[in-house]
Formats: sequence, structure tokens, C-alpha cells
Amino acid sequence: MIAVQARRSHRTELIAVLGLRFAAGFVILAMVAVLGYLAFEGTKTFYVDKFPLWTFLFSPDFAVDAGHPGAAVFIVGTLAVTLFAIVVGGPFGIAVGVFLAEIAPYRMTQLLKPAIEVMVGIPSVVYGWLGLTLLVPLIRTHTSSPSGFGLAAAGIVLAIMILPTVITLSEDAFRSLPGSLKEGSLALGATRWQTITRVLLPSAASGLAVALILGIARAVGETLAIQMVLGNATQFPQGLFAPTAALTTEIVTDMPGATEGSLLEHALFSMALLLLVIAMLLIVFVRVALRRRS
Amino acid sequence: MIDAAQPATASTAADKIVARDVDVFYGSFQAIKNASLSMKAEHVTALIGPSGCGKSTFLRALDRMHDLTPGARVEGTILLDGEDIYSPEADPVVIRHRIGMVFQRANPFPKTIYENVIYGPRIHGERNRAKLDEIAERALRQAALWDEVKDRLHRSALDLSGGQQQRMCIARAVALSPEVILMDEPASALDPIATSKIEDLIGQLTEHFTVVIVTHSMQQAARISDFTAFFHLGEIVEVGPTNQIFTHPREKRTEDYITGRFG
Amino acid sequence: MGNVVHPSARSVAATSSVRARKLADGVATVILWAMASSIIVMLAAFIVYMVYLGWSALTPSFIFGMPKQTTAGGGIGPEIYNSFYILMLTLIFTVPIAVAAGVYIQEYALPGMFRNVVQFSAESLATIPSVVMGLFGLLVFVYLFHWQFTALGGALTLTLLNLPALMRVTQEALASVPDTMREASMGLGGTKWQAITRVVLPSAIGRLTTGVVLIAGRIFGETAALIFTAGLSVPFNHPYDLNPFRPAETLAVHLWYTHSESIVPDVDQIGNGSALVLLIMVLVFNVAARVLGRRLTTHFTGRSS
Repeated sequence: MIAVQARRSHRTELIAVLGLRFAAGFVILAMVAVLGYLAFEGTKTFYVDKFPLWTFLFSPDFAVDAGHPGAAVFIVGTLAVTLFAIVVGGPFGIAVGVFLAEIAPYRMTQLLKPAIEVMVGIPSVVYGWLGLTLLVPLIRTHTSSPSGFGLAAAGIVLAIMILPTVITLSEDAFRSLPGSLKEGSLALGATRWQTITRVLLPSAASGLAVALILGIARAVGETLAIQMVLGNATQFPQGLFAPTAALTTEIVTDMPGATEGSLLEHALFSMALLLLVIAMLLIVFVRVALRRRS
Repeated sequence: MIDAAQPATASTAADKIVARDVDVFYGSFQAIKNASLSMKAEHVTALIGPSGCGKSTFLRALDRMHDLTPGARVEGTILLDGEDIYSPEADPVVIRHRIGMVFQRANPFPKTIYENVIYGPRIHGERNRAKLDEIAERALRQAALWDEVKDRLHRSALDLSGGQQQRMCIARAVALSPEVILMDEPASALDPIATSKIEDLIGQLTEHFTVVIVTHSMQQAARISDFTAFFHLGEIVEVGPTNQIFTHPREKRTEDYITGRFG
Repeated sequence: MGNVVHPSARSVAATSSVRARKLADGVATVILWAMASSIIVMLAAFIVYMVYLGWSALTPSFIFGMPKQTTAGGGIGPEIYNSFYILMLTLIFTVPIAVAAGVYIQEYALPGMFRNVVQFSAESLATIPSVVMGLFGLLVFVYLFHWQFTALGGALTLTLLNLPALMRVTQEALASVPDTMREASMGLGGTKWQAITRVVLPSAIGRLTTGVVLIAGRIFGETAALIFTAGLSVPFNHPYDLNPFRPAETLAVHLWYTHSESIVPDVDQIGNGSALVLLIMVLVFNVAARVLGRRLTTHFTGRSS
């Protein structure tokens, strides 16, 4: 009897594991399909329409009707918005990360961490809507900007959106430092702030770099929130308060109107492929940096 | 409980640190009960006893390291040159300048050897590069490390061997010209050769500093200390000149520990 | 602050240089407190703002009514329905695949080529921005399969988007169960599969559920991937049906649509109400994730973590 039961259980397991293997294999299949098909479609601009890659990347002229889709405007827009977001949100996030790891008493952590989790849960379209209804009018009334749309609005919204990522990763970086470092510094008569700036920050540098790079990766791929406040004008960013465009916003703005197989559609897919490549490069960089540090 | 008996053969050395009726609590748990001990200037006092008996806890009370542990409480009096280090006017930053500590495991900062050693003087305000260089050399000499690292001062401290790292931590502590150096089992993680280098070092340190050392090795205590205090279950059972403690202990518990009957 | 004031001045009280350093320490601490508090204040302000603006819009005719194309008074009923519908569809696909793959990687896979490739695939999928995945969905489901805009297309796209996250949640939940449990079950003569289904998974179910509900919250708010796959409209005749092969504008997409393309005069009203409903759903998912997680853990293991 026992032998029969055992055989049955083994058979069940065999079937189950087969199923599990299939699921795991599906993941591989999915990756190959997605990356492959996107690469296929995204390179049509260069192979089918015979538009040179170099010009695509660097020409400031986005004149699709004339057969010349230069994407430099959007590339610069993406870089500009991301830069703004990381310059504003990066240090702020690291500071709050230090606060959580070294200074905050338990009660404050109990309040702050759920708040950060809620922030993560808020959909990007809601952040965009908040930017649109709150921030843009504010910018319009208090600065020289005629409409309020532009880099500043998008950058601020994006900075707020990447804060949770930077904060949690920074906090982890500090918490993973051995306590003996802090002890040693304090035993030599340093104040807490001296210990943080002179010992803890330098020691956590690689973890903080990861936090920042992942924040950047998040910013590069963000679409809706900035599309609602950036202005979506196909021009290079002219200061902080003029409307401009980024890769992600351009895709959302023009794709609904693009016909299948047209040059515009191909160009937009090329932009999508470019976004993908940038995101992957950032992640690979993080992995390489991590491996070197350990 | 038992009074810290003043040894009859006490040198004319002054008391550098005097602890009187010290209690240390972690929350509601009492780790140290009624500890009283006088530590003589420019001599080595060893704290011995079985694991968990409170020697490290007592040591940490001497430079106010318990301030960093939430829930820890120190009561009683601890005097440094006659001044209470726990009085409201006393500043832990100043106290830790005058009383340095070396930990059980070397904890070099991820910086160069030079940066590590001058960390103390720098955070206390010293900026003059020449002066710092001088301090670094003096400290490394006092820690018997200078010859080994003088050509690679600006390389990472993490590249040093375990024993060298620990001596560098001693140099780091000594660079501040403290008056007292507390050592918490400084050689327990090191091999015998590195250990003996550190023991030799301790002998030389008493030229300028008062040393209080926690050790789980009775042989070490016998070799390097002038006075020994025996801890058991959070109390100081007996204190006396090292010679006397090891040859004619007065308390039964001390004798049991020394002869290896427990711990 | 030139020289070290050497405390061979023999006192334990603070010197002026020490006081200066403590001042710096104090100022820095205050600034950090302010920064941390500003986050809480900002979040609270957002919530208050949204409630204040959107509360009046939450009438039954709004919550359950049909959207209007050109006139005022449109509702979001079908959109809310679509949000849940697509969420359910997505979970139906994502959960089995991701959990199965996660279980395989965590419990069965031997270190080697296959395992590495699977993990690499998951991580690669995870780096894809949602708008790019939406374009993939457009390519495959709308163009290649000729489905046009469908709820199913949206759900499948979202599946691809969330597979890596759910796999990671599964792996972490499984890893949180100590090996001693597996050993105990197999030591009594069971197969590994029995150990997993009868002991490990029930132990891990709290964590797993928390993760799934949190991911569900993210799916509920997803927009960029759905614009090109599930579309911007709801079928007028059967807005609440179960047919997956029809356009299905979700609430999140609707919020975007009203503020970029729509021409109805009461855009603000609709926007305020939609945003508030989205916010409420986020908070509900957040709280539910925690509560459900805790309840399930106590139910299956008798302990509270």
C-alpha cells in the first residue's frame, strides 16, 4: 500500500515539475519574443526606410512628412527631464535615507515608511494630474512661463516620483554597513553628523550609486506623468519653463495617430527601442558596479 | 558587596579613573552590580572573568559608549581625574577624546591608512597638514606599525593583515593623545604572533597612557597587567596587584576561576 | 577653527570647538527632520486636496454612469468595471505562470544554464518601461493578431509587464520559509512537491498575498501599456460584458484621456472624481494587502509572522 501511494506521489510530482518547468520556460520565451520583436520593428526605420541611425540620433529635425525623423529633440528632452529629476530628487532621497537609517526614532519610521509605500502605489497618471492641476498653475502665476508647462513642472513631478526608490535603496545601503564603523568613529569623539558625512556616506557610496542609477532608470521610462505637464512641443528645451518633449511623451502623443507601416510609426518604434536600450544599459551598469564592489 | 581592596603594595601612582558603586542596566536587566574600581595612571589594569560576566559592559561605561544603546542606563559615579564623566556638564565628545577605545575586531574605515590614523585629530579641528603628518608618524610609531606601512600610507587600510589592522586601530586611538586607552579583547581575533606584538605594544604604551584591558585569557592578563580585577556575574569579586591575584587570591570564586574550575 | 584645543586642559566640559561641532550636528539634524517631515506633509496635502476637489463629483450618476463624448455629465461606471475586469484577467494569467516559475527557480532548479537564463529573462523583462511594453502589445495583439483594441490584449500585455515582479515576490516568500520545514516534511517520507504544497506554500501564503495585492494595485493604476492595447473607448451597447475581445478603457486611462484629448466641458469635474476614486482604490489595495497578508499567515501557521 505504501509503495503504491509513494509511486502516486512521485508521479504527481513529476507532472507538477514539468508544469513548473514550462512556466519557467515561458518566461524565457516571453523575453525573447518581446525583445526580438521590438528590435525587429524598431530597426525598420533603418532597414526598410533606409534612414541612417546616426541622423536619427543626432538630427534636430523631426520632419516625418519630409521623410526625416530626427529624434535628437526627444533624446535631449528625456535627458534634460531626467537630469532635473535626479539633481532635485537624488540628494533629497539620500538625505531621507540617512535620516531613516541613522536618526529617525521608531515612531517616526512607523509614520514615514507607510507614507513612502503609499507614494509608490499612487499611479503615475495621478501624479501627472496633480502636476497639471496643482503645479502648472503655480508655475504659471509665479514665473515668467506663459503656460506653466515645461521642464520645471515635469522635473519636479518626476523627482517626487523617484523619491521612494532613492529613499528605500539609500536606507538599505546605510543599514547594510557594519555597526563597528559607526562605533569606531563615535569612540574617537566624532559627533553623529561627522560620523555620517565622514565615514558612513563614503562607505555606502556604491549602494548610493545604485540607488541613484535605479532612480534614473525609473525616470527615463516614465511616461504619463510627464506627458501631462511637459507641454509636448517638438522643440529643444529652452530654459526651465518652455514646453518641450521627451522620447516617452512623443510616443504617447503621436502613436495613436500613426498608421501601421508608416515612417512615423517606424520612427516611434525606434524611439521605443532606444528607450529599451538605455534602460537595459543602466541596469547592466548597476550589476557590473555591484559585482566589482563585492 | 566586596570592597575593592586597595593593594598594600600600590605604587605611588595616582588614580586616573575611579568607579564607585556603578550599576549598568539594559532595560530592566542589570548587567553590572555595584562595581567599584580604581584604575591607576600609567599602569595596565586587566579585567578578567568568564564570558558574559560584564567586563566589556563595564569597560564601555568608562567612555560613555552606552549612550549609544537605546535602553541602556548607567548609575553610580565614574571619575576621570576627579571629575564625574556622567555629570550634566560633561560632554561625551570631550570624554572620548581623552579616553580612547580599541575594539575586539579591528574596524578600519574604508579609507587610506593615513586617513584612518588622522581621523581623530581631524574631526577635532586639526587642519594643518604638516602637523597631521607628524601626528600620523608619531601614532604609528607608538603602535609599532610605522616601519611596516611608512611607504604605503596612502593605500587602503583594508589591505592590511588582521594584526596590522588592529595595530592601526591602536594608532588611530593613540593619534588623539588620549590619557586613557580602553581595550576590549584586542587580540582575541588574532594569531599568536600578532598577539604577542600587541602585548609588547601595550607594555610600551604605559609610558604615556593609562590602559584598561578586557581579556578572556588569564595568561595574557598575568603577562601584561599591573593590576587585575576579577568579574563574575556582573560584580567585581576581587581586585589587586596582578601578582597577588594569581598567586594568592583571597576569594574562593577567584581561585576557582584561576585554577580553571569554571569559565 | 584652527587647532585642536587639547583637553589636557583637564576638564570634561565642552570647549568652544566642541560646541561648534555640536551646533553643526544639531542644525543638520533639524534639516533632515524637516526633509523627512515634508514628505509626510506633502502626501497628506495631496490626499486632502484630492478629497476636497473630488468629493462633490462622487455622485451615483458619476460612479455608475456612462461616459459622454461631447457633453457634460459623463460618468465612469464602465471604466471602473474595466479596471477590475482587466485586473482579474491579468491576474488569471500572471499568477499561475509567475508563481510556478518562481517555485521552480527557488525550489527545484539546479544552479546552471537554465536557471541563469530564466533569471536573466525575468530581470530583462523587468527593465522594460511600461510604454515600450505597450508598444509590443500594439505590435502583437492589435496589428499582428488583428484584434484591434481588446481587454484581452491589455491583460496579456500587463501579464508580461508584471511577471518579473510577481516571480520575485514568490521567490522571496518561499525564501522566508526556513529549510527546517522542508526537511521535516521530506524526512517523514514525503516528496518535495508535497513539502511545497502542504508546508512551504501555506507558510509563505501571507507574504505571497501581500505581494500579489500590492501588484494588483499597480495594475489597477497602469496606463501607458493599456493606451495602445485596450484602447480609449468603451463599447456603447454592452459596456459591462465579459467578452474580452472588445475595447476596454480603464479608469486610469480615462483620467489621462480626459485631460489630453477630451473635449467635454466638465473635464475638471471628471478628472477630480476619477483621481479621487483611483486614490481610494490605491489606499484600499495598500491596506488590504497588509491585512490579508497578516490574516492568512495567522490562519495557516498560527503565528503572526
